[in-house]
Amino acid sequence: MNQTLLFLIPLLPLACAVANMLFGMRLPRLFAETLAVCGVAASFLLTVLFWSYADGDGTRAVLGTWLAAGEATIPFALQFDALSAPMTLMVTGVATLIHLYAVGYMHEEEDYARFFGLLNLFVFAMLAIVLADNLLVLFLGWEGVGLCSYGLIGFWYQKTGNARAGTKAFLVTRVGDVFLAAALLWLFALTGTLSIGAINAQAAGFAPAVLTGLTVLLLLGACGKSAQLPLMTWLADAMAGPTPVSALIHAATMVTAGVYLLCRLFPLVSLSPAGMAAIAVVGAVTALYAATCALAQREIKRVLAYSTMSQVGYMFLAVGAGSVAGAMAHLLTHAFFKAALFMAAGCIIHLAGDENDILRMGGLARRGPRQLFLVFLAGALCLAGAPLTGGFFSKDAILLAAYTQGTPLFLLLWGAGLLTALLTALYTFRLVYLVFAGEPRGYSHLHDLPQLMRWPLWPLALLGLLGGLLNLPALVGGGEWLRHRLGALAGREIAATHGTEWALAGLATGLVLLGWGAARWRYARFRGEWDNPGSRFLLHGWGADAAVDLLVVRPFTAIAGLCALGIDRALVDATLDGLARQTTACGERLRRLTSGHVSTYLAGFIWGFLIILGWFLLALVR
Amino acid sequence: MIVPFAHVLIFAAILFVMGLGCVLARRNLIMILIGVEIMLNAAAVALVGGSAHWRQVDGQVFVVFLMAMTSAEVAISLAMVVYLRRRRGTLEADKFDGLRG
Repeated sequence: MNQTLLFLIPLLPLACAVANMLFGMRLPRLFAETLAVCGVAASFLLTVLFWSYADGDGTRAVLGTWLAAGEATIPFALQFDALSAPMTLMVTGVATLIHLYAVGYMHEEEDYARFFGLLNLFVFAMLAIVLADNLLVLFLGWEGVGLCSYGLIGFWYQKTGNARAGTKAFLVTRVGDVFLAAALLWLFALTGTLSIGAINAQAAGFAPAVLTGLTVLLLLGACGKSAQLPLMTWLADAMAGPTPVSALIHAATMVTAGVYLLCRLFPLVSLSPAGMAAIAVVGAVTALYAATCALAQREIKRVLAYSTMSQVGYMFLAVGAGSVAGAMAHLLTHAFFKAALFMAAGCIIHLAGDENDILRMGGLARRGPRQLFLVFLAGALCLAGAPLTGGFFSKDAILLAAYTQGTPLFLLLWGAGLLTALLTALYTFRLVYLVFAGEPRGYSHLHDLPQLMRWPLWPLALLGLLGGLLNLPALVGGGEWLRHRLGALAGREIAATHGTEWALAGLATGLVLLGWGAARWRYARFRGEWDNPGSRFLLHGWGADAAVDLLVVRPFTAIAGLCALGIDRALVDATLDGLARQTTACGERLRRLTSGHVSTYLAGFIWGFLIILGWFLLALVR
Repeated sequence: MIVPFAHVLIFAAILFVMGLGCVLARRNLIMILIGVEIMLNAAAVALVGGSAHWRQVDGQVFVVFLMAMTSAEVAISLAMVVYLRRRRGTLEADKFDGLRG
């Protein structure tokens, strides 16, 4: 088979997106939906078909030259290797299931063509990031996912709040994009190429300060897309979008793009100890921050949004601790169980009649469909890291990687990770108890659930539960498949005695049980939620929005106001207006001369005549 | 010629100033027109005087033209006076200020 056929993987969703955007509303609805689903499903099948291409060093496919300027030639090129292949498989697989779910979820939506067009376009952009062979193609996808995210968060733009959330997400991620663009330009200035392989190969020759600078710029770029501190404020608001969007973009794929970027450039990033420490610190602090915020949230999707932020923080911690395999394993399992959780949350919201508030739910275990409860519980167990689920193994690997770094800083971050694990179990079981336990508190009857919204949950929940098999540690007889598959890309070898591993696993299990016990004690029977300054502080995300408002938005508005009122209106406009007024006044004074009376004009004639006469007389006299 | 040329010119000038005074001082349209006629005739007197003085016929020819033109002008202006009187009911020159800016 021809390698160029690899381009079909990203281009099929693009073709379907274009078709849906141009003709979607004229096609029969069923056809438009089928087109959207089939485009992504075909990508998935092609990925499976081409799986062997990723063996060894992978396959590089070139479609043509994109830019050729002087020495630099940037081609449209894809790299299908051990790192991008599992990611492609995950993106297309999860996206297929979410597209199916979306067909059910949006069955009453009038504007389906725009929705499916944007969703397909998003899959294309995400695949461009994943498969990119050079950083410019990656950047194309990077901006593409941002655009689609903006369009889909504000999908119901008739409500101002949704449109504003979309704008906020776009602007905040854009701040990160600027840093990424700066890193790209710097890399191009240093190496004269943007090919990821070439950059990674040449990275060893860079000065340490340059490496640290580049790593920090890449980290800030990744922070924007992955909602890490300090660019994390947009993710919770992004839940204004339709639930399939939250599941696909804001849980499974786009927010992990930052992690993927750092993994892709790991050979460069890993050369800078300070940069690695910065990545780990950002990850651990975000994980802890988001976990505390999730404790107090009242909207089901916001809890999940903060948990996403927290889990992506774990992935950053893994990259910082040098374990790409750990980060990728957590990325994959997290994508499965978080997508399942989000889609189940969408079902719950739909069942309860568009009720978002978990304090007004309750009793869904007995009243709601049995399978929904089971799926949500499976996802929640994975998220909490209950033993033997996918989340347990992937999270343990990360904590182990942080622990085995051994430096005091990493031990501190490991402690933060452990605390986060406890909080994760606590807020996850709080969510489960508030939604499913007890008696209904808010809704009176349950709505019907379309079949298409039920069964795509099952594969995802199962994949989440069994996700541990991806990278099963040798401790329990696993082969660490993912780490071996990644080969040279897997990062640092994690060396730990079995005793340490057992101890850490036991500790993690203990924390999960502790979190579960605390949540059961507090929320098994509903006794109302705390409402004190502390919980309000957490509910508003530590006042991050207010801080951004105070530090960025208000000074910006003030400067803009100064420019508009002070310079534009007071200086420019006033000068021009003054000139115009003077001219008008002049004309007004001249206007009075023309009284319209013949006698006045005649008098004017005479005076003129006399003056001319006088002039001639004077000339005569001289 | 018995009358000296200077006298003719002084007479013409006096006549012209009188006509001018009539045009400036009077507010009635007919009187203003009469003033204009007087001024034109003052010019004609000066032309005839010059013609006699230099013994050239051009001045007299010019006066004949002037008379023809004056009669035509009077015919038009009197028609306008009648029209304005009918339309506005007055001949006060200061009542007409349609050209005011």
